[in-house]
Amino acid sequence: MDRKDILRKSLIGLAGLVVMTVAGISFYQHRHYKEEVVISDQVKVKKLADYFPELSGSVNDCNIYMVEGSEPGATIMVLAGSHPEEPAGRLAGWILVEHAKMQKGRLIVVLSTNRSGTTVTRPSGAYPQLYTIPTTWGGQKFRMGDRWTNPLDQWPDPEVYIHYPSRQNLAYMDIRNLNRAWPGRANGTLTERTTFAFMNLIRQEKVDVVIDMHEAELQYPVINTIVTHEKGQDLATMASMTLTDFEGFSIGTEFSPVNLHGLSHREIGDHSDAISLLLEAPEPFLDATRGITGEKQLLEGKDAFVVKAGKHGLLYAPIDENGWPIAKRVGRHTSTVLQILQSWNEFHPEKEIVCEGVPKYKELIEKGVGAFLIDPKTAGKGKVIFE
Amino acid sequence: MKRFNSTRISRLLILGFAMSLITTANQAVAQTASEPVLLTSCGQSPGPVRLKIFLQKDAIAFDYNLQAKAEDLIARKKEGKPYKSVIIVTGASLKGMGAAGVSMDDELTRTKALITEAKKQGIKIIGSHIEGMARRSQGASTGDNTDEMSIDAVCTVCDLMIVKKEGDSDGRFTTISKGKNIPLILFEMNTEIEGVLKKVFTK
Repeated sequence: MDRKDILRKSLIGLAGLVVMTVAGISFYQHRHYKEEVVISDQVKVKKLADYFPELSGSVNDCNIYMVEGSEPGATIMVLAGSHPEEPAGRLAGWILVEHAKMQKGRLIVVLSTNRSGTTVTRPSGAYPQLYTIPTTWGGQKFRMGDRWTNPLDQWPDPEVYIHYPSRQNLAYMDIRNLNRAWPGRANGTLTERTTFAFMNLIRQEKVDVVIDMHEAELQYPVINTIVTHEKGQDLATMASMTLTDFEGFSIGTEFSPVNLHGLSHREIGDHSDAISLLLEAPEPFLDATRGITGEKQLLEGKDAFVVKAGKHGLLYAPIDENGWPIAKRVGRHTSTVLQILQSWNEFHPEKEIVCEGVPKYKELIEKGVGAFLIDPKTAGKGKVIFE
Repeated sequence: MKRFNSTRISRLLILGFAMSLITTANQAVAQTASEPVLLTSCGQSPGPVRLKIFLQKDAIAFDYNLQAKAEDLIARKKEGKPYKSVIIVTGASLKGMGAAGVSMDDELTRTKALITEAKKQGIKIIGSHIEGMARRSQGASTGDNTDEMSIDAVCTVCDLMIVKKEGDSDGRFTTISKGKNIPLILFEMNTEIEGVLKKVFTK
């Protein structure tokens, strides 16, 4: 090797080092970006490890927001960020935490159900690491995430993922998919330990209904719907009918398949007393035939390629040039959660839950998501929590 | 110009009025049914739950069995408590059929046998489509005609149809109704289902 070769190889090595450093800083900043949540006096914050101490200190020891009313009633838990690449659920959760005023019963909200998944985006997916929701006070930044637990926290993946306890064979990478890891186990992977901790929480807090908020690509048949466990069929159906009649958007219901394991709508209902429901809103960003996966697409939900796929009859939800803006997707979730609470009351008048202050679909479309994010600078001492 | 006989005109008018009364009465009868009711599905969609909620609310005697078979009708007859009506909700769900472990062919075979037995026993068959276009072309992938297959299997041979109007946007059920002379009750809002059932199952 002559001096020329050494110089050439050194330069290539140096270039690699520069790329690694720049990427490393970028990954570090994304992973450690602190999202701010403003809480009211009614909100108490617990940690997931309170229900499974072995999770303490891990990346998935997420915040649990408890909004308790002055009168007793039902306990409803809302999960956001099971799949952190589906931002409408997390934003709807933010609005619930910052605005829900409980009169009766208790609302438990989780914003980063798979917190590890919020610290990474899909490899080679060219996703934005952060996105900004415009507000009158300058905008609030959020971490974009991935469908799966960060490989930095759980790796390597096995050849085959055998779900516990059903022993059903699932896709290998879904061992890091929190919504294929219910009900979890104490000595399992990080993802399984996380769902195990949530199952403890659901049982200890005597949760009546769990609502898991998601988004789906328009090429996926389970969309614009509430997927329900057998125990929740009447509740989901009543909510779906009322929303479709009066809320200005159509939402259906689907039954949770009995033999498809690992999903929240199946396992939570099977392994606890709670009714388990899962909401799906449309997210063109996730479609296989999408265009550029930039922040603009993420927030506006406009994509000419997805529209074209619709013209070829390849979609299960409608889309036009107006797309599926984030306010519409978030509004579907907030309205659906509120309607589930109301429908619960129709079936259980002896154990009501009454929540006020949360904006619905039409209000969100009219004012935008940013209008319902509270400026952390205006919050009192100890009222800003970091996700 | 020929003069009209006023007596003849009066007779014709009275006859016309009587005929219209009979037709209205027949239509009214055609749009009613009796309890007890068997509520089932052809295609395992979640639609039947919508009817179930309102049947419960209206205290209409019914059994809910998404996979009801001809044998269920026979068994009830043997018990001396035969069903008077069967409601079959159309629209297919791949998730629902997967959950039930059945195929569309299984559903069509089961439904055909159920309808044959119901007709044999003189049970009124009500074909229904509840979930609108989301449970028809709008919610189906290219080449998936299972929703339409379930509609063909039930609605073309039933005695009465109860259908969400939006699901008839293309006139599918209206065409069946006119072609086969099957009464059709259309409703717009989901909350109207309660009133429709009350009317159909007038006690």
